[in-house]
Amino acid sequence: MSVESEVSPDGTKLTIAVKGRFDFGSHQAFRDAYERFYKVPELYVVDLKEATYMDSSALGMLLLLRDHAGGDNAEVQVINSNPDVRKILAISNFDKLFDIS
Amino acid sequence: MSALAPVLEPLTILIAEDSAADLLLLSTIVRRQGHQVLTATNGAEAVEVFIRERPQLVLMDALMPVMDGFEAARRIKQLAGEELVPLIFLTSLRESEALAQCLDAGGDDFLPKPYNQLILAAKINAMDRLRRLQATVLQQRDLIAKHHDYLLHEQRVAKAVFDKVAHSGCINAAPNIRYLQSPYALFNGDLLLAAYTPSGDMHVLLGDFTGHGLPAAVGAMPLAEVFYGMTAKGYGLAETLREMNAKLKRILPVDMFCCATLLCLSTQRRVVEVWNGGMPEGYVHEVASGKRTPLASRHLPLGVLSAEAFDDRTEVWPMALGDRVFLLSDGVLDTADANDQLFGAERLQQVFAANREPDRLFEDIEQALAAFRGEARDDVSMVEITLQAGQQLRASGPLYADSGQSCPLDWSVSFEFRAETLKRYNPLPYLLQLLLEIHGLREQSGALYSVMAELYSNALEHGVLGLDSRLKRDAQGFAEYYRQRNDRLAQLNSGYIRVHVQVLPTAAGGRMTLRVEDSGPGFDVEQVLARPLDIDRLSGRGLSLVRQLSSDVRWSDGGRSVCVEFCWEALA
Amino acid sequence: MVDLHLDPEVLSGLQEVMEGEYPKLLDTFLDDSQKRVEALRKARDDAKALGRIAHSFKGSSGNLGAMRLAQLCQRLEVESVGAGVGDLGALVDQIDREFALVKPLYETERQRFQI
Repeated sequence: MSVESEVSPDGTKLTIAVKGRFDFGSHQAFRDAYERFYKVPELYVVDLKEATYMDSSALGMLLLLRDHAGGDNAEVQVINSNPDVRKILAISNFDKLFDIS
Repeated sequence: MSALAPVLEPLTILIAEDSAADLLLLSTIVRRQGHQVLTATNGAEAVEVFIRERPQLVLMDALMPVMDGFEAARRIKQLAGEELVPLIFLTSLRESEALAQCLDAGGDDFLPKPYNQLILAAKINAMDRLRRLQATVLQQRDLIAKHHDYLLHEQRVAKAVFDKVAHSGCINAAPNIRYLQSPYALFNGDLLLAAYTPSGDMHVLLGDFTGHGLPAAVGAMPLAEVFYGMTAKGYGLAETLREMNAKLKRILPVDMFCCATLLCLSTQRRVVEVWNGGMPEGYVHEVASGKRTPLASRHLPLGVLSAEAFDDRTEVWPMALGDRVFLLSDGVLDTADANDQLFGAERLQQVFAANREPDRLFEDIEQALAAFRGEARDDVSMVEITLQAGQQLRASGPLYADSGQSCPLDWSVSFEFRAETLKRYNPLPYLLQLLLEIHGLREQSGALYSVMAELYSNALEHGVLGLDSRLKRDAQGFAEYYRQRNDRLAQLNSGYIRVHVQVLPTAAGGRMTLRVEDSGPGFDVEQVLARPLDIDRLSGRGLSLVRQLSSDVRWSDGGRSVCVEFCWEALA
Repeated sequence: MVDLHLDPEVLSGLQEVMEGEYPKLLDTFLDDSQKRVEALRKARDDAKALGRIAHSFKGSSGNLGAMRLAQLCQRLEVESVGAGVGDLGALVDQIDREFALVKPLYETERQRFQI
């Protein structure tokens, strides 16, 4: 499990890539990924291309990120979700809060 | 003399050696290394000294009189118990068999003769490191065990508190509910609650908090209190959901939420009303046709959205007597077999399809899960509720603390609820509370609430919103009807419902007259009343129900106003 | 390599370790060894006893630098297992003689420390 973050050259977009199991053990790493940037990006992107598994604590982490990013005013995208991840996001209707693809 | 490795801390070392010269030599060497030395000249003496002084390390000659080194070593190791007391054999034995014998007897190492100081010092240090490692492990193990005991105790207390809350519902008393739930469900975050409304409908909640353990359990209690409190007062699903969501949003941290399916099953109206936020889909199982209607998750879980953004829209599905609703936690679909294959929705559908006896459906699912997994799983929650005839209207409502001496007997009151209020407020619980101040009416609270609810709903839906109940003749029509209801209510900006209550004493006791008026166009009362009392038809049940439950129903003002009476006898 | 009767390096090492107790060590060894030699003579007919005593003697003589003596004791220990008592007698004699040889050497060493 690893979490890597990358900020775009103009500082407006922060991409966080979660690899491996996205579960309770990822908590600290995920928070560090966005909390340590002193600038607030306009757009957050969570890339789940290499995420193999996701559970409800991961959903909670996404909510924390959204809250950090401004709550209802936040723009958070979740990209490259595989079918299993899509399913858990769909059942919880998280597409009402996040832009999921 | 070459420098010896520094000693970590001075030890008390027992040296057991029957040769006086060797004993003297060794003792001096060990003392010079900074340790305290105890001596023994035979095995039995070594064991005695060990018992008395409990040295931290032992150097033992293998062959000694009166109890040889091996036997002494075994005894000392036994006396040491869990602690590591390193034991180094002193030996001029050559053969590997003999050396192996040393280690088998419990020796941790051996030191050959003639003694080499450097090797001895190094071995003592190495053994000491191991000794201290073992001591740390034991200490941490004991600390962990102690904390674990605290934790178990806390969980027992939490569970006891919660059980009192959870069992105030009807989950065990109702004859038409079957459920499967682990006794430790609370700590998996699973919640199963059921309670009757004043009119005899049943509210059921199957919930799943994120996380495990006490954090999950902590959210369950406030939620249960809201559920039971509001259901008992007669609040509908929408208000109860709003309140539960607001409460969880307020008290839970941002990353915690509760997936839930909440439903209201009404035997009287032959419908089930459902709200599913984040739970796996449930099913309405039609016994006659074998058709299954999925109750899919359409909402975000509770505790995520703010009050303004929360969506309390429910779906309504018709049900016939004998039909069942199934709700499942994700433990069912996630049950895995030895190869980590998941049970999944398809297998579940197969179980449904293969079932021949509706009464056995619940067991069929249980058995299929157990067979698939190879054993029963203890974190699965599953509930089946059957729509059964003959549900008595529950008279048990909120308990009153008053003595019954003083109650209002001669009064009247009128309300007018206008568009903005109709959109967002359900006045029925309040009205019921008001009417239950009349002690004589308390026995009839079930009937009273049912009648009030029916009259209000007719006034709102047919009168103010202008919906046609004939739409509700099949499942599709149902869906359309409730869609229209939600739309029209959201857009409502004119209209009213007036409620008039008059209470008068009579010779026998008292009489309460309830009149409900709406601003709608009215209807042809005679024509509607002429329709046969077809209790299996989906629409039109309301009026027959009202006529059954109250005395003297009268319409006036072209159908825009309806009046019912409830009488009671004076209490002794 | 032929074992030394008395290895001077071992002795100097012992002296370093024991410091003030060095003379005491020598005394103890001589005392002990005398007893062992007598015990060996007494146990002429008991192979097991001979083996045990030889084992012990081997240890301390090795520690004190009497290498050839140690080696002889080793042989006696080994051969005492399953051998006829007659063969062992010769070895006991050898040990006897070897000790008689090294004993004065230890006594001389001991003399160096008479106050």
